[in-house]
Amino acid sequence: MSNTKIAIIGGGPGGYVAAFKAADAGLDVTLIDPEENPGGVCLYRGCIPSKTLLHIAKLINETRQASQWGIEFASPEINLDQVRAHKDNVIKKMTGGLGQLVKARKLKHIRAFAHFRDAHNLDLTLIDGSKESLTFEHAIVSTGSTPAMPGVFDTNDSRIMDSTSALDLQDVPKSMLIVGGGIIGMELGQVYAALGSSISVVEMMPGLIPPADRDLVKPLQEHLESQFENIWTKTKVTGVTPTSEGISVELDIPNGHTFTQTFSRVLISVGRVPNSSDIGIGNTNIQVDDRGFIQVNSQMRTTEPSIFAIGDVIGAGLAHTASHQGTLVAEILSGHEKLVFEPRAIPNVVYTDPEIAWCGLTEQQAKDQAVDCKIARFPWSASGRASAVGRNEGLTKLLIDPTNDRILGVGISGNNAGELIAEGVVAVEMGALASDIQLSIHPHPTLSETFMEAADVYYGQSPHMYTPRRN
Amino acid sequence: MQTEFKIPDLGENIEGGDVVGVLVAKGDEIKEDQPIIELETDKAVVEVPSSISGKIIDVHVSEGDSATIGQLLITVETENKSIENPEPASHTPQPETEIPADAHAVPDTSAIPNQNTEDSKIVEFLLPDLGENIEGGEVIAVMVSVGDQLRENQPVLELETDKAVVEVPSSINGNVSGVNIKEGDTVTVGQTLITVEAEKNTPANTLAEPSADNTLAEPSSPADTDIEKTSPTIIEKSITPSPKETSLIPAAPSVRRLAREIGVNITEVNGTGPGGRISKNDVKSHSKSLHQSRTTGTSSIASVPLPDFSQWGDIEHQPMSKVRQITAERLTQASITIPMVTQFDKADVTDLEFWRKKHGKRAEAAGGKLTPTAIIIKILGAALKAFPQFNASIDVDRNEIIYKKYCNIGIAVDTEHGLMVPVVRDVDQKNIIELSVELSKLASKTRDRKISPSDMQGGCITISNVGVMGGTAFTPIVNPPEVAILGVARSSVEAIHIDGEFQPRTMMPLSLTYDHRLIDGADGARFLRWVCDALQNPFVVLLEG
Repeated sequence: MSNTKIAIIGGGPGGYVAAFKAADAGLDVTLIDPEENPGGVCLYRGCIPSKTLLHIAKLINETRQASQWGIEFASPEINLDQVRAHKDNVIKKMTGGLGQLVKARKLKHIRAFAHFRDAHNLDLTLIDGSKESLTFEHAIVSTGSTPAMPGVFDTNDSRIMDSTSALDLQDVPKSMLIVGGGIIGMELGQVYAALGSSISVVEMMPGLIPPADRDLVKPLQEHLESQFENIWTKTKVTGVTPTSEGISVELDIPNGHTFTQTFSRVLISVGRVPNSSDIGIGNTNIQVDDRGFIQVNSQMRTTEPSIFAIGDVIGAGLAHTASHQGTLVAEILSGHEKLVFEPRAIPNVVYTDPEIAWCGLTEQQAKDQAVDCKIARFPWSASGRASAVGRNEGLTKLLIDPTNDRILGVGISGNNAGELIAEGVVAVEMGALASDIQLSIHPHPTLSETFMEAADVYYGQSPHMYTPRRN
Repeated sequence: MQTEFKIPDLGENIEGGDVVGVLVAKGDEIKEDQPIIELETDKAVVEVPSSISGKIIDVHVSEGDSATIGQLLITVETENKSIENPEPASHTPQPETEIPADAHAVPDTSAIPNQNTEDSKIVEFLLPDLGENIEGGEVIAVMVSVGDQLRENQPVLELETDKAVVEVPSSINGNVSGVNIKEGDTVTVGQTLITVEAEKNTPANTLAEPSADNTLAEPSSPADTDIEKTSPTIIEKSITPSPKETSLIPAAPSVRRLAREIGVNITEVNGTGPGGRISKNDVKSHSKSLHQSRTTGTSSIASVPLPDFSQWGDIEHQPMSKVRQITAERLTQASITIPMVTQFDKADVTDLEFWRKKHGKRAEAAGGKLTPTAIIIKILGAALKAFPQFNASIDVDRNEIIYKKYCNIGIAVDTEHGLMVPVVRDVDQKNIIELSVELSKLASKTRDRKISPSDMQGGCITISNVGVMGGTAFTPIVNPPEVAILGVARSSVEAIHIDGEFQPRTMMPLSLTYDHRLIDGADGARFLRWVCDALQNPFVVLLEG
């Protein structure tokens, strides 16, 4: 039986950042995670492996695009084992690095699964099966989430995949149906499409990437329409039958028709469920909502005073949000007792090609909440750099408070949008005015200029885009 | 060698004054200790003696000038006595400023101009107790540097505690000889902040004592403790602030964090940047202003944290009426800002009572009631004529006393809605019957709440007569901007020794509270005695009133 001041359950980007920050503040921390090294879904089964594969997909697509410019590449020969090994090496490199950081900090890392006995004690099942217990003053639940697998798909057939198994790259299926037109599905769909699979998408909502503004989705949608075989929106899956030829799926399209099609594989990407059900929450006063998300206040405190929760298990849904929350809890526990989670702009990025990124207020939110704002759009057709790389389909838009010119939200669609959005985050967080952006010199020729030129548009005309005035 | 002589520190927080006399002229030979000018400060007219000897080359002030400490007075061609005066003319602070402030007041002190260990000593200024269990904080700004002339109450540093950003004022006068802290340092109570070559009039025992300046001890606002106490049970629906909220307050994350840490509600901060953007300085100055308003007392009623009374028994919450709120605010303000003294005396009203009862019918016929209050109003009106400083107000901002040529008297009236003070006007131009009629009308109008705000304004002095209720004496609180209030308690028959024997006399106890800033104790006693005499023998009113 051992003791710790802070027990952190789950070593993902929320948990390990919390552990590192708390340890750096001189607190006694124990990190509990079954893996050899920290990393969580993000490093092992999420962000990092998917971005590795997306880079390969983009490379393949760019060689194809190069034929327009007089550069003809032969069709790529894909050694899937080597692709997989490359991806695994990236994971190993990153998680191994975290392992070294754990050692360097002399952080206590117990490879185990944790279960609350009460508000101050954990029962640990070590990966070798032995049992231990741990008494803590405070605990941070950062157990993350798991891909949702609705009952209709739960057939134990390995051809029905979730994002985790899809990242394992078992093969390049001839055809694949992606259920759920969200971020994860579209990213993996593009990977498999580039590798040679025929991709179909089924989405219940009227459009892909539901939370994003439609004008930002449009450039991606156009790409996907040429890369994917079918995009069925407002469509439901009503039946799934594994057969010897593949997975036979019954689809219910909007006008009431149903039809059946068989796919080599099916990828289920309909969301993620919190890992809150088997950690002994019932032995504490922690409250969860009807979907299993742990309820917390603005300090990430659960209804059990000794226990905090961060990341996917509370519905944060993004690695960078989890890390920020982990940092916050470490700070609160090291004496900054008044801090709260109060970001103005959490960036969302869809790492497809083209990318979509946004932060702060979206146009849809402005509409729903009747926020008075003016929208300035700068299309990338007027960007020199976008032309140079043959990617004119992008868009940069600013949502601006007309009473004081303050930037409330930023949306970017196009090549490298995920990198470009960081400037938008800083602008929104700092309370920057459109004029601050307009008057800051942006490097030429870069895609970042579109941010500055969108601010120009807000004030009238941008040098590279002229809109005749109507009286 | 040319030496500049500047006005030295005169101590007692004197910042300067008016030059009422220039005692030297160009070409004069002056000696050390010889008076150069006469300066009228807010304390007294003082002679400013030279700390150097030599021939005056130039005189830089003339009569009528306003001069401040450190201002150049004369330029002197000094004799070559570099031992006495080692500092040559330069733009650096002059050693002359170290003349003990009382040098001219104590002629036999050998005023040695230069550093003298007998007149000054090195003392350490420690971080004083800041109250509220504050153990220390982070230094945000150091506001003094080595060589600075430090005056008492001058801010030494800006400290960010977990309660607020506060300025820590010096309790020492002297020259800063060392600064032991820098921006970003964490300091704790009792830690040495600076070393000062203190003037000898700085009492040594003040140095390590808690600062007398209580502005640092602020009551913690309830909001400060809210989060910790209530958060475990409060669940917000959304962990992400809605975009509407986020669009409201333009402040960078670092600024929002500062506000959180020092307990400032950022939605209340005025942003001075473009688009109303809030800077760290905006948060700090808001914190300071909160701090000041708390300590000036206007909100002190609300800011005293209360225990949970229900733990000891049943309680009931009722809203405070507007009258009660105003009363509370005014009286708190008065208590805090006015140094008050209460003088007690007794008036022999035996004869007065006889006449009052005898003539009561005449007043009744006129529609009034001949009460003791009606008579006291008349007498008090006469007293204000005899003692004009009681019919005055203080203008603190302008350092003026305002004397009133009219004579209005406020009467504290007990109503079911609370205390109200209607004003009887021009009492000096009305006889007692007229006053009794007016008083009756005014009192019933007040009790019926038909009185208008203007009927309660313009009083010169107030009478609070609780004689009906009883009591032997009490200490009424001055109703500002008036400077005095007369309390009347219950009259009783007492054995008074008159002409060699005890006689039963009806004695009326009077309590006069006055603003001691304007009225000296002797005047207070005289005034009240005059009122007593006049009640005993109203002929006095005819003679002097």
